[in-house]
Amino acid sequence: MGALLQSWAGQVLNGLVLGNVYALMAAGLALVFGAARLVNFAQGSVYMAGSYAAWFLIARLGWPLWAALPGAAIAGAALGLAIEALAVRPYRRSGGVAPLLATIGAGMMLDGLAEVLFTPTPRSFPNLPFTARYSLGPVSIGGLDLLILCATALCALGLLAFLKLTRAGRGLRAAAQDLEAALQMGVRAESSGAAAFAIASALGALAGALVGLYYNFISPSVGFQAGLKGFTACVLGGLGGIGASMAGGLVLGLGESLGVALFGSSYRGLVSYGLLLAILFLRPEGLFGRRGRGVALSGGREIGLGSFLPLRGAWRPSKPLAAALALAALALPLANPGPYVLQVLAGAWISALFALSLSFVAGGPGIMSLGHAGLMAIGAYASGLLTLKAGWPFVPAFLSAGLIAAVLGAAIAFPALRLKGHYIAIAMLGLGEIVNQVILNWDSLTQGALGLAGIPAPRLLALEITSAGGFYYLSLAVLGAGFAALAAALRSPLGRTLRALREDETAAVSLGIGARSYKTLAFAIGAFFAGLAGALTAHLYTYVSHETFGSSYSILGVTMAILGGLGNLWGALLGALSLSALPELLRFAQGGRGIVYGAILLLALRFRPQGLLGSE
Amino acid sequence: MRNARRVSITILLALLAGGFAQAQGTEPILIGVSGPLTGPNAQYGRAWQKGFDLALEEINAAGGVRGRKLQYVFTDTQNDPRQTVAVAQKYITDPRIVLATGDFSSTSSMAASALYQRAGLVQFGFNNSNPAFTLGGDYCWSNSPSDANEAPAQAAYAQVLGLKNVAVFQLDTDWGKTAGDLTVAALGRDGVRVALREAYLPDEKDFKPSILKAKAAGVDGFVFVAYASDAALLVQQIRGQGIDLPIVANGANATADFPALAGKAAEGVFVAGDFSPDDPRPEVQAFAKKWRERYDEDLDYFAVHAYDSMKLMAAVIELGGPDRKAIRDAFGEVKDVPSIIYGKVSFNPVTRKVDDFLGARLVIRDGQFAVWDGKRP
Amino acid sequence: MPLLECVGLSRSFGGLRALRDVDLSVEVGEVVGLIGPNGAGKTTLLNLVSGLDRSDSGSILFRGEELSRSGPERRAALGLARTFQSGRTFLNLSVRDNVLLGAHARRAASRSGAARWAIELAEALLRPASLRAEEERLEAEAAELLGGFGERLAPRAADKAYVLSYANRRRLEIARALASRPALLLLDEPTAGMNPSETLETLEYLRALKARGQAMLVIEHKLPLVLGISDKLVAMDEGRKIAEGGPDEVIRDQRVVEAFLGKASPKAGPEAGHMGPASEED
Repeated sequence: MGALLQSWAGQVLNGLVLGNVYALMAAGLALVFGAARLVNFAQGSVYMAGSYAAWFLIARLGWPLWAALPGAAIAGAALGLAIEALAVRPYRRSGGVAPLLATIGAGMMLDGLAEVLFTPTPRSFPNLPFTARYSLGPVSIGGLDLLILCATALCALGLLAFLKLTRAGRGLRAAAQDLEAALQMGVRAESSGAAAFAIASALGALAGALVGLYYNFISPSVGFQAGLKGFTACVLGGLGGIGASMAGGLVLGLGESLGVALFGSSYRGLVSYGLLLAILFLRPEGLFGRRGRGVALSGGREIGLGSFLPLRGAWRPSKPLAAALALAALALPLANPGPYVLQVLAGAWISALFALSLSFVAGGPGIMSLGHAGLMAIGAYASGLLTLKAGWPFVPAFLSAGLIAAVLGAAIAFPALRLKGHYIAIAMLGLGEIVNQVILNWDSLTQGALGLAGIPAPRLLALEITSAGGFYYLSLAVLGAGFAALAAALRSPLGRTLRALREDETAAVSLGIGARSYKTLAFAIGAFFAGLAGALTAHLYTYVSHETFGSSYSILGVTMAILGGLGNLWGALLGALSLSALPELLRFAQGGRGIVYGAILLLALRFRPQGLLGSE
Repeated sequence: MRNARRVSITILLALLAGGFAQAQGTEPILIGVSGPLTGPNAQYGRAWQKGFDLALEEINAAGGVRGRKLQYVFTDTQNDPRQTVAVAQKYITDPRIVLATGDFSSTSSMAASALYQRAGLVQFGFNNSNPAFTLGGDYCWSNSPSDANEAPAQAAYAQVLGLKNVAVFQLDTDWGKTAGDLTVAALGRDGVRVALREAYLPDEKDFKPSILKAKAAGVDGFVFVAYASDAALLVQQIRGQGIDLPIVANGANATADFPALAGKAAEGVFVAGDFSPDDPRPEVQAFAKKWRERYDEDLDYFAVHAYDSMKLMAAVIELGGPDRKAIRDAFGEVKDVPSIIYGKVSFNPVTRKVDDFLGARLVIRDGQFAVWDGKRP
Repeated sequence: MPLLECVGLSRSFGGLRALRDVDLSVEVGEVVGLIGPNGAGKTTLLNLVSGLDRSDSGSILFRGEELSRSGPERRAALGLARTFQSGRTFLNLSVRDNVLLGAHARRAASRSGAARWAIELAEALLRPASLRAEEERLEAEAAELLGGFGERLAPRAADKAYVLSYANRRRLEIARALASRPALLLLDEPTAGMNPSETLETLEYLRALKARGQAMLVIEHKLPLVLGISDKLVAMDEGRKIAEGGPDEVIRDQRVVEAFLGKASPKAGPEAGHMGPASEED
């Protein structure tokens, strides 16, 4: 009994320490959301930067701990101001989800920069302070545990004092409550937004520094997950309320640790994203939020895509030009460019199909599907398992994969589709993660971490397709079919209905258009083709795992779609080709990929948010 | 008259042939490497480069292979199977490349095996320990210490150390799962009970819940199937909880990264290595010295294995000549190539793998790898 | 049986009581004008009837069917259509598309319940003849509706709505609402922002609609308009109904006069008219 108690006490302490770190991240996110109505996806990268700052100060410059931690926080604040000035303010006027996407771009650039500057090799601190351990009844608590608990408590108190007692702080709270009123009262929106960013980034950087010390592990790839966990904490507690978000962080930390203790380490992601989705679907205002704050569901200010995109003047190639392009694509292999080029292009066609489906879903009903790669994963595993394990022939398995992705995808996205703006973006991201976590943990079906290997090559009747040329034509054919179908759908009355939903959902609903149903239908159509793209990947590369279709691919897909112009299918094609060709062109730039993709996203959003070819 | 023409044509042809041979002779023989230079496994790609470069220095200084210089071209795949496949296409169509090697993980390599097999270019997966890798066809060869050899060695080490009831921590990847299964089976055969088996993801940082579970289960030791960065975290957190029980780690942790990241916590950790840097064999000692002079660091399993593999590839090409098919045959014929890790290595022509396995029982003392002195903890 | 019958409708937002126990009815073919100062709850009432919002208590009967549980989809199908105070046309869609969308509830797909998705998909991907025929029929109807506004909208049918002037956009919104052949048309300040001649034109148009038997519930601040077409006036103030009856008697009702004088007065200027003694002096 004593051992059990000790064990559980230890688990709870662990959960609380983890929770405190999440609380710091969440506080930062809530601050920015409250002050600027913005979901800051760069927070995770600032966390990562904070850990490197602390490492640099302590390991390279020899600073003591009590100086390095504030130093890291200040570095974070400076970084936050830079992000606000470069990646947020210029995108304000675009409105909608543009600032959110811009912060994603900024995050990508920071992660890439860190990889280039510090290399992916993890670092550690040579001499860790506070390694003593103390016994506190049934628990053993370490110096670093205490450091984290104290640091977080201090920050929470400091933040509270700032918000309640100082003028600037009150201004921030006023802006959070009612921006227009606050502006009229003389609160300067720009500086209060910048201040919020600075404080939030200081908190995030501090969290990163503390975690880096705690685990003695500094790496450039931790940012994305840390940010996502921060959001989960915020949403869990109640977005917009700082206290609620911090409480959400504690709940998340506890839930995660206990979940891992009960089910095993590989369930960590499933537990945290499961919590995220449960809250979003069941109680979107959060555990501690006030009902009817109106941000999550309909009503309130709608932050959809319609306001963000100027839809004028989408460029489309004329019929003769389109025919010429199609002919060129068909004839290319005859010019004998070599199997390497053909293989890369086959991959590009698959990416294009993915981008098409994303663009359709975003441009049609305006759903920012940030977890779209999860649909590919479903399609890939469906087709892979049907051919590999159930012995189905290629064509029925392939088509079924699309259907399964459509049905399953629509089913799991359905609860998310009634959410608005930022919430739906976060929910989609969470759904994408959950699909991969389920694939990872459902060993008996998917072989878990082993992935699916030896997936048979595609076979059309008697013809087995194994050459690069064959892959090229197969992918091109599926892309062509997808293009034709989606274009037809957009031209049809259905397309008109979907665009009305995107333009003005309230008006559309008043005409009797069932918003949720149509969004689901559009999503299912998009999911079908994303599933086919995933199935193609599985058969062309013979191997897929839970890592093949991760969040980074979803975000890359969104970049492709935006680059080309949302809802513009030709644009999605162009965007996909450009971004697929890039890794080949950038082979000389080691690790610079993140920087380039992030820069492209930021530039596209800034100077041509309607995309290269204009939005449809 | 006709005679003169015939003679001059013959001389001309001879000159041309000689010139051609001469041109051929100055062309380096190219090996195509596919591996991670960026991304999460980039450090291993870099370790490979170090091993390759040292080996090539020696090989080319001694006259090269069949009178020509040996070189490699390294294309970054980030260990992403899709890129491995694309790079395979590239190598297959490059006539200068007579032999392809890599990728880092078995699954990435296996994604391209069918291509290499069909095209008739040997895919030498020197880092691929998955038993299924060489099943891709007679062009798929590997000299990686097989998990099927490493796992029982690690289990035996644990048993000999006196452990009876262990917690196994395994990396939840394709490699970790396969090796983990083999290790657990071997432990069972050796009479060591596995009280707890925890699979964790590569980016996991927080092992405390699992460690506390192990503590509550009353284990008397830990067995790792891990890579250095996660093993380092594990070790720190185990010791951080005040748990002093013996830890037996797998061979992939015989790299300087592990004690460097783990710091003091690495002291006394047992590593079931593939070879020992303290091996008294003169060639190992000479090699270790050279390595330290050249790179100012201790021996690293991945780098050493790359060095060994490059030497092996050179021996194979020397035997078979710079022809893809002949190289495939030469893999099956080459015998007793000197190897740091194995001493002498030959391939089993049926399995296309290496049956040799020296193994070494190591323990970390003062941040260095030392041979275990036989004393139980 | 009245076409629309609202009984005891109440709605609060936080601490604010926007509607308190309001009764309202509209007969078939009747035009009811809804007047009151700003904040009286008129738009809230309209929102409850159209389904944009849900009442806290009370019932809404439309053609005898209880509506308060039904969403906007059902209400549109039953024959309710509305326009918005701020004018919500689909700016980036064409004029024609706007009107076609108005007919959404009448399309075969919308009336087929669960089979709706199959029909939508079929129409999107296959374009079968039957559905093309429906589309053509709806296009003809749309052209007719646009033609009802003379040369203002019809020649611009293919243009995007954002090129239209403000007044034209409001006309478009009415045309869109009529596309569903509603039994009851709900208009929220249809002439807000229009100049006097535009307002007059709209009045004529609405009169013509009324002559064809269109039942309407009209919120308006411009009294000549509302007096010009209403069969009945309902006056509201602070969430309550304060008067109901024939237009002339309601505007002279003491409570109504007080309500207007005490709050923001209705639109000043010759086209709006004034209340009480001031107007008589005009």
